[in-house]
Amino acid sequence: MFKYAISLILRRKLRTMLTSLGIMIAVMLMTFILFGMTDLQRAVLTQFSSVFKPTDLYVSSQDLMFGGMLSAPTKQKEEKKEPVIVNETVKRKIETLDGVESVDSMFLLNGLEIYLEGDSIPYPTQIVQAMSIPGDDPTFISFDGENPILEENGIFVSDFVVSFFETTNDEIVGKKLIAKSVSSSFMSAANKNMIDKEYEFFVQGVVETANKPFWISTDKALNILVDMGGFESTDEYIEKIGYSQLLVHTKDGKTTEVESIMTEDMGLSVMSTKTVVDFISTLTAGLTISLVVFGAISALVASIGIINTMIMSIYEQTREIGIIKAIGASDIQVLVIFLIQSGLIGLIGGVLGLGITYAMMQIADPFIVEVLKEQGFGAIDKFFYFQLGNALIITFSSILVGVIAGIYPAMKAARLDPVKALRYE
Amino acid sequence: MSYIDIKNLKRVYQMSKEISVEALRGVNFDIKEGEFVSVVGSSGSGKSTLLNILGGLDREYTGHVLIDGTDIKKYNPNFYRRHIVGTVFQQFYLIPSLSVEENILLPMKFTGSKDIDVSKRLEYLLDMVDLKDRRKHLPKELSGGQAQRVAIARALIDAPKIVLADEPTGNLDSKTGEAILTLLKELNRTEGVTVILVTHDKNISKKTDRVITLVDGKNV
Repeated sequence: MFKYAISLILRRKLRTMLTSLGIMIAVMLMTFILFGMTDLQRAVLTQFSSVFKPTDLYVSSQDLMFGGMLSAPTKQKEEKKEPVIVNETVKRKIETLDGVESVDSMFLLNGLEIYLEGDSIPYPTQIVQAMSIPGDDPTFISFDGENPILEENGIFVSDFVVSFFETTNDEIVGKKLIAKSVSSSFMSAANKNMIDKEYEFFVQGVVETANKPFWISTDKALNILVDMGGFESTDEYIEKIGYSQLLVHTKDGKTTEVESIMTEDMGLSVMSTKTVVDFISTLTAGLTISLVVFGAISALVASIGIINTMIMSIYEQTREIGIIKAIGASDIQVLVIFLIQSGLIGLIGGVLGLGITYAMMQIADPFIVEVLKEQGFGAIDKFFYFQLGNALIITFSSILVGVIAGIYPAMKAARLDPVKALRYE
Repeated sequence: MSYIDIKNLKRVYQMSKEISVEALRGVNFDIKEGEFVSVVGSSGSGKSTLLNILGGLDREYTGHVLIDGTDIKKYNPNFYRRHIVGTVFQQFYLIPSLSVEENILLPMKFTGSKDIDVSKRLEYLLDMVDLKDRRKHLPKELSGGQAQRVAIARALIDAPKIVLADEPTGNLDSKTGEAILTLLKELNRTEGVTVILVTHDKNISKKTDRVITLVDGKNV
């Protein structure tokens, strides 16, 4: 029966191919959506995992996932959330928690323009990260410089900063960088005489990272913040404004417990690998669902094409349906023969769509990886992977679309009166 | 004792609310097992209607058709068409995309065989219809006579008890038609199968065991 159904399909190759084309386009769309979203999620997570350890927790007084890293605390936010100031007391309390190995303090400076010595165009307003980690730390993919420990006025620049200034690692290392404050939003809580300040650094090394473009020592960052904010001392700044973030290193197996205490008992905002994974999963799932709707609409259009083709086939094969009924085929068998045909149209469209899309993805892959690397996704070597699970879902779905579209024509064929069918001209 | 018993068989086609056509108006006859019978009659006499009923394709009749004492309405129509009767059509009705042997074997795709060795049966029938060297050919590569021989082999593949032949020589020249008739007689003799042959050709009907004549929907 299967062979007979295939022979019917092969008898009208062109029409089968044209009908399959509709399914193929729907499948290509679906493949791009499902593969692309999964690959995007994987790429982000790979990059994230290359920079952040699963046992590390980033602690802040505000939501780190939605701009917490990109903006200084404001009065508005304080009124809304009444954030805990991450001061020395909070830091010490975290250090004493069961499961905490150590705590590093971090500062973020934003609203700065960074000028390279001899270049009049500044690097756009960006964040300068201050953290006590050496240049050869696994946080960075690579380090190019002589001394990996940041000196008082030293600054690490990322590889994409080197690209921006159209220079090379060798040329930039040792050069001067001038940071100028330009925005009144900069540390608005500590907004005292903060405009027109200038700070000079020398480029101590180039790091490859997906994270921030500039890295300075925490001591230097704190001094700048105190100076810009007009505070009396570093202690006053930390007491009133607090650390931008704390990096909490936890023991294996204790991460969730520590995270829970810090969020629920201490009212802090914590970013862990899990929260990022959950966030990315939610984001990509939402995007996938909305895009799948478009794919489904295109599958619906394709299924109308199948219905049309199958009804045409019934008219062409009416006498043949009469013959097979006359020699013993039951209504169910005729139904199955036509469902096999429509399912095969779906399968052909599915396999072609999947194959062509995957081939296109492989061709585009090096270019996407290059673009991602330029955007700081240094840990990504390959973007598009073959996903057997999604491939099977897509193939099965395309067969299902074919079969569902074939139900009405198949029932029509099955109900044909053999005597009338044999007389059909 | 009769093998096929037809009693007061009537068939009315309702063309519209007002117009109806009586194709069969009370046909009565019986056929013995292994008999080779021809049904003759002019166009519109009810030959095809009778054959459709005997072939299990038309069940909208009144009266009785008994095969070996069992009313054919008691059979599942598909089972009846698969196992009890085999039909040979005037236009051959071969499937153009299937080869000679695939066409012959096609009924077996829709049915479980009756404990017969299908490949042995195929070889036997190919030998009988003299198409062993054409087994891989498509219908378009066959002559009319060869195509009809394929149709006969297809009708016999599941070893039915009755073969219905609807004008099997109608589309063939007289020499080829003669050969087909000889083949049917040979199969009737060797297989013991009951053959009912519908024809309007008196020369053909003369060569059968018995002639049943239909006139205006009744046998005379």
